[in-house]
Amino acid sequence: MTTAIELDGLTKVYGDKRALDGATLSVPAGSVYGFLGPNGAGKTTTLRILTGLARPSSGTAKVFGKDAVRASTAVRADIGFLPDVPGYYHWMNAQEFLRFAGRLYGVAGRVLDERVASLLDLAGLTGVPTKIGGYSRGMKQRLGVAQALISAPRLLMLDEPTSALDPMGRKDVLDMISALSGHTTVFFSTHILSDVERVCDTVAILHEGRVVREAPMSELKHSGAATRVLVEIADRPDQVAAGLAQEPWSTECTVTGRSITCGIDDLEAARRSIPRVVAGLDASLVRMEELEPTLEDVFVELVGGDA
Amino acid sequence: MHGFAVFLAKEMREIVRTWRIWVLPLILVFIGLTSPIIAELTPQLLSSLSTGPEMEGVVIQLPDPVTRDAYLQFTKNASQIVIIAVIISVAGMISAEKRSGTAVLVLTKPVSRTGLVVAKILSNWVLLLGATALGALLCVGVTVVIFDTELLVEFATAAGLWYVLAAMFVAFMAVFSVLVGSQGGAAGAGVALYLVLSVLTGWGPMRDYSPAGLLSAGDRIIVGESVALLWPVVTAVAATVVAIALAAWLFERQEL
Repeated sequence: MTTAIELDGLTKVYGDKRALDGATLSVPAGSVYGFLGPNGAGKTTTLRILTGLARPSSGTAKVFGKDAVRASTAVRADIGFLPDVPGYYHWMNAQEFLRFAGRLYGVAGRVLDERVASLLDLAGLTGVPTKIGGYSRGMKQRLGVAQALISAPRLLMLDEPTSALDPMGRKDVLDMISALSGHTTVFFSTHILSDVERVCDTVAILHEGRVVREAPMSELKHSGAATRVLVEIADRPDQVAAGLAQEPWSTECTVTGRSITCGIDDLEAARRSIPRVVAGLDASLVRMEELEPTLEDVFVELVGGDA
Repeated sequence: MHGFAVFLAKEMREIVRTWRIWVLPLILVFIGLTSPIIAELTPQLLSSLSTGPEMEGVVIQLPDPVTRDAYLQFTKNASQIVIIAVIISVAGMISAEKRSGTAVLVLTKPVSRTGLVVAKILSNWVLLLGATALGALLCVGVTVVIFDTELLVEFATAAGLWYVLAAMFVAFMAVFSVLVGSQGGAAGAGVALYLVLSVLTGWGPMRDYSPAGLLSAGDRIIVGESVALLWPVVTAVAATVVAIALAAWLFERQEL
């Protein structure tokens, strides 16, 4: 499988602060890769190194096998990038900016005309005559994704593309990213877990400058974090919850209506004893379901209280 | 290379579509139009001061204004007010791109930082050349109408030397704009450089062998002095090349 991004021991030191501390990861080509971490974990620093805006103190960063520092111009020809707060020439309108961005990549003629038209459509900015200076934050962010796509890049890098948007703006940008799945590699930094769960197929979790976990989303959710079980009963939920909470495998139990959710540290023991506890309290068991850990469970377990 | 050409074209369009098209051209048009008129009216204005009772007994004798006075008025204004205006108007050429985030969006595409610096300087030189030519031509036109057609070659030489000096200041402002984050800070550094050159132009060796000589060369040519131009021009061009290289080198090493 081709590797789009490869970081090996990437370290960046500012004075006595280590923004990156030996980060190592590998992004498969074609994936929508979530680069997840709390604020200050080193996500933006990583993207700045990959795009040639900063230099690493040590370690290597490669994009499609090319060194991001020594072959920076060649790397930049392969990528589209959206910074967390994109800056525009406010005297241009969206169409002018897209044409300018396309020409910087050497895109011209009919190809440029077609891409500008389709990306304006994708960004919902077709026919908007207003200068960019008058755009809302959401419009600027959608234009940011569009300009990052103008060269039909092999790799799209997005730095916190949804962090400052309202729910509608977030939905629009996430829809644009989802539409790219399968034909463009997307490297997407964020601290918003639900965004990653929605669009990413592979995830790395960065904490204090180190990659503490890297895995396909499905694998990540099946590993590591505490498992939970949902018990639905016909009657007496409070008594049953109190009974389950006293079992040695139970970490905590919460009641919502007739549903009881228990954290567990021994799945086999829970499977054997839950029917017995319910029957012992003369209650009726309606449903029992083993719940997969959410990304939030995994994230909190890996980065602790710092998130 | 196409990235440089595209960015340069963007710079030229930005000049035309923003405030930048107005500031320097208007200042140079203003001094081009008013310098000959002020030269013509100054003796009359001063004479009118001696008509009041409080000036009784005071005699102000002024020679009749001539062509030389019109062109000297222009070169004096250009080497003071206009140079300061150039310094202030280009002080943010790089730092504004960094501050607004546009530098990040441009430089993460296949555009070299050296190309960006050179395009910024080139576009400002083009603007300055157009404004200088316009202002100088208007000054010549009004001077010919009010006075005569003398000193045209001398004035053209003086305007050309002023342009070399102003172009050097643009290159140094690129260095200051890379180094200093704020437009005000860079402008302050540029004004400090101007003051240093203004002092040095009064010292013979520096006036004859450094760019400082260009600050007064135009005036001296117009009044008919014999002026050694070679070293001031050569050193100004050399300083301009060094400043461009320094700005590009510093910007290449900066983290954004």
